[in-house]
Amino acid sequence: MIQTAASSFPQVRLRPWLGIVAVALSILAMWMGLVWAPTDAVQGEVYRIIYVHVPTAWLAYLAFVVVFLGSIGWLWTRRPWFDALAVASAEIGVLFTGLFIVAGSIWAKPTWGVWWTWDPRLVTTAVMFVMYLGYLLLRGLSNDFERRATRAAIIGIIAVVDIPIVHLSVTWMNSQHQLPSVLRPPGGGSPSLDPAMGMTLGVSVLAFTFVYLALMVERMAIEGRMQQRVLAVRSTGAVRREGAL
Amino acid sequence: MAGAERDARAPLLSPRRLLVIFALLLAVGIAFFAAQGLANSAVYYLTPTEARDKHVGPGTPARLGGLVLPGTLHYDPQTRALVFGLSDGTTNIAVVGNGAPPALLKEGAGAVVEGAFAEDGTFRATSVIAKHDEKYAPPSPGTTPAHQLP
Repeated sequence: MIQTAASSFPQVRLRPWLGIVAVALSILAMWMGLVWAPTDAVQGEVYRIIYVHVPTAWLAYLAFVVVFLGSIGWLWTRRPWFDALAVASAEIGVLFTGLFIVAGSIWAKPTWGVWWTWDPRLVTTAVMFVMYLGYLLLRGLSNDFERRATRAAIIGIIAVVDIPIVHLSVTWMNSQHQLPSVLRPPGGGSPSLDPAMGMTLGVSVLAFTFVYLALMVERMAIEGRMQQRVLAVRSTGAVRREGAL
Repeated sequence: MAGAERDARAPLLSPRRLLVIFALLLAVGIAFFAAQGLANSAVYYLTPTEARDKHVGPGTPARLGGLVLPGTLHYDPQTRALVFGLSDGTTNIAVVGNGAPPALLKEGAGAVVEGAFAEDGTFRATSVIAKHDEKYAPPSPGTTPAHQLP
């Protein structure tokens, strides 16, 4: 018998405050990014999409690391809360990945001159996007709760490997995408961002983090209700399975 | 709830948990080999020196990356002819392209070109992409931002 996820998650205290903080920070970040931050010497105003592109990318990485942690948690403890954590984070991660790929493309056209190119950073990012889409599709294949959670957890553990590859690809190989400006490998120097730009980026990252958290809370609440329904169906005479993979 | 209690007190290395450890090791292994493979074999572009050392012949599709040599960038809107020198500090290659260059293509800045070498040693580019570095800073007072330069 599975235990429901709903009871152990403090939903009432977090909602709606996470959403309100997320909206407030987003408004602040928008003002800072579009108005307050200085122009770039090389790219002019078009660089401002950095305040969307970079935070969504980092939050996508974080989301997929959370998928990894939820996958380990499910396989190790069999507590459904971890599976809820994994699927919620995977959905938001895929959403953010799609967003930052589009933002990157919009940025690339006026700066590089093309919408897309198959350089190492973009290739590994596309692979990451497809892998986590696959994670979500795989979940759709099975109705058996434990089997679905276990299969998804395996993918969630293996796919996270691409995250450092995506980030380090530009340092390993000649690529069109430039080197990291902030998350540099050791010895790569301090962030190559003007301080005002850095502060704006920090606020944007904070805003997107709260967006992520607000979405996570909502999505896990939905998953908790779905898990409860599975439990209700089972307790009305369905076959009990214990410890099955 | 006997089943749940039994799960919670499963032996530390039950078959299920061994599966977790195996999946983790598999992930690490994949990461290791993927990193090796990517670092060694995937080549997005060659530098001019690498292209020379590999003897990339005329007609072979290639992608080169380097810096635009100062003083060599010329674009004629009438004929749509674009020429510039591509350099990596050691080897210079004359690039000939067709069509307006991207706005960020500037002397001293990065460029990535796709195309092939011609018989005369110049590189006929079918695509010219500007590459910028990772530094972001406002223009110094009194200077014109690069994107506003003609």
